[in-house]
Amino acid sequence: MKPKIAFFDFTSCEGCQLTVVDSLQTNVGLLDMVEIVQFREAMTEKGTDYQIAFVEGSCTRESDEDRLRAIREQADVVVALGACAHLGGINAIRNIYSIDEVRDEVYGDKGEWYETYQPRPIDAVIAVDAVIPGCPIDRDEFIAVVTQVLQGREPRIPDHPVCIECKLNETVCMYLRGEICLGPISRAGCGAICPKYGFGCVGCRGMISNPNLESMEEVLEQYGRTLEEARAKMSMFLTYQTLEEGES
Amino acid sequence: MQPAKILPKSAFPGWIDFLKRSYTVVGPKAMHGQTVFGEIETADDLTLEYNQSVIPPKKYLVPQREVLIEYKLDGTEVEAKFNEEATVVFGVHTCDLHAIKLLDLIFSKGFTDQHYAAHRDNTIIIGYECLTTCGPESFCRSMGTASAPESAYDLHIIDMGSDYFIQIGTERGEALFTGYDGVFTATEPDYARMNGTLSDKWQRFPYRLDVDVTEIPDLLAESYHSDHWQELADICLACGMCTQVCPTCYCFDIRDEVDVTLSVGKRVRSWDSCQIDSFALVAGGHNFRETRAARQRHRFMRKGKYQFDATGMVGCVGCGRCATACLVDITPIKTFNELYRRQQQQPEEVEA
Repeated sequence: MKPKIAFFDFTSCEGCQLTVVDSLQTNVGLLDMVEIVQFREAMTEKGTDYQIAFVEGSCTRESDEDRLRAIREQADVVVALGACAHLGGINAIRNIYSIDEVRDEVYGDKGEWYETYQPRPIDAVIAVDAVIPGCPIDRDEFIAVVTQVLQGREPRIPDHPVCIECKLNETVCMYLRGEICLGPISRAGCGAICPKYGFGCVGCRGMISNPNLESMEEVLEQYGRTLEEARAKMSMFLTYQTLEEGES
Repeated sequence: MQPAKILPKSAFPGWIDFLKRSYTVVGPKAMHGQTVFGEIETADDLTLEYNQSVIPPKKYLVPQREVLIEYKLDGTEVEAKFNEEATVVFGVHTCDLHAIKLLDLIFSKGFTDQHYAAHRDNTIIIGYECLTTCGPESFCRSMGTASAPESAYDLHIIDMGSDYFIQIGTERGEALFTGYDGVFTATEPDYARMNGTLSDKWQRFPYRLDVDVTEIPDLLAESYHSDHWQELADICLACGMCTQVCPTCYCFDIRDEVDVTLSVGKRVRSWDSCQIDSFALVAGGHNFRETRAARQRHRFMRKGKYQFDATGMVGCVGCGRCATACLVDITPIKTFNELYRRQQQQPEEVEA
């Protein structure tokens, strides 16, 4: 029997699910291997019997937690799909403000009408078995992770810095171009696509497990950049992690 | 050895066009202020007066990613894949020729690596004599790699102003002129001019190591417990750029990539780096080089000693690429010199 899979979205732009749809166009064979029972982005049916759940988006409301727990309860394998689910992502930028300030800014005097709390990655709520990082996810990596799950293997994603892939591309180092780049502390697997097109890495795939942050600070200084600039760059995807780090 | 050839520079573009008829030709090209090896269409694409390329021409012999075998998961078919593209690699610096010689020794030791051998068999190497140093991070003179090793090239080009003096390394190298009539056999005066060009070049190649290359393996052996490795580890980002750009690094990872239908798969070899956390991770979650200090030590031990022990050649050719790439300025010149300085400071052990 084909494994049944389902896609769920929480607070996100749903771009990762679009990337999934896109990857199916070139990997039609996947549809012979699995039965998709729920995928709001692509179909109407909402089956509740599934073994593998892909979750896009971050958890931004208390009521999201119940829904996440129900998914965890049902699924044998839960995969975080993309930076919002993996890291909290862009939604978590607002965590630098208090929840009252945020309500006030967004909803004005109707603030009390809306349920919201501090955005967080889904692994802050439920156990996650695998992660497909990135903003958006890489379509080839999605297929590779699905394949490994179908094989019953633990999916392997890179845990080395973006610099490795940047050098393979023979891209001029962003620091030599006078730009700031989080490549030396960020997880590769994206093919270093941002530096390739002239934009310093913003760490959308999260940090590597063992970054040398002290040395990174010295690199910033040596190349005439400030810690504040680096923090600003890190705030895009890593605000949740940065704040957690600050509290611990 | 076959007598050398003289190729007038005016005939050079025509010879490249001639080679293009039979081969994929790659060589040094300018890209965003750097030099990278890539495919060339005409002689105009080449930048022969270049400093070290970002990634060495090694990438044509040990590709960053290479399919080794393809198979069906039901076991009915397994097929080894070998490179079949006839390629001419043009303009290889002398240090990189030494590196290729080392790779030849490594990949033919014990069981010959069939995939490397296929690349080597189909890849014609045309060296290019360096007449000036690449930059402050290059120390080929100290490493003894500023002259071409004979066994690594098929042809070797020396720029003599109005023409090229081309040394013949192999029969297949010489065959690159078969059917091409713009080239001449070198005469005595040509050899004299070539010798003059070579002897003039040395003043432009400073020594940059305080230690003699022959002493490096012993220096590393004695430095195994040095505190310097931890000092390097404190600043090392473990980004792996040093190994990615190294012409003698060949460590690889092998993984199976299975098609999403779980019917066919590929076994893929790709470059690995001893500097990243997971390099020495083995089954059971054990990591026998968990610290950056252990990994930096391993890197320098390998360059300075282990490869020498295995092949008789020191594993660093002094190109300076790793130093150029490193954001925190860990360089082989500084490292070898610092280890040497500390060794010299230690009191001589008195023989009992």
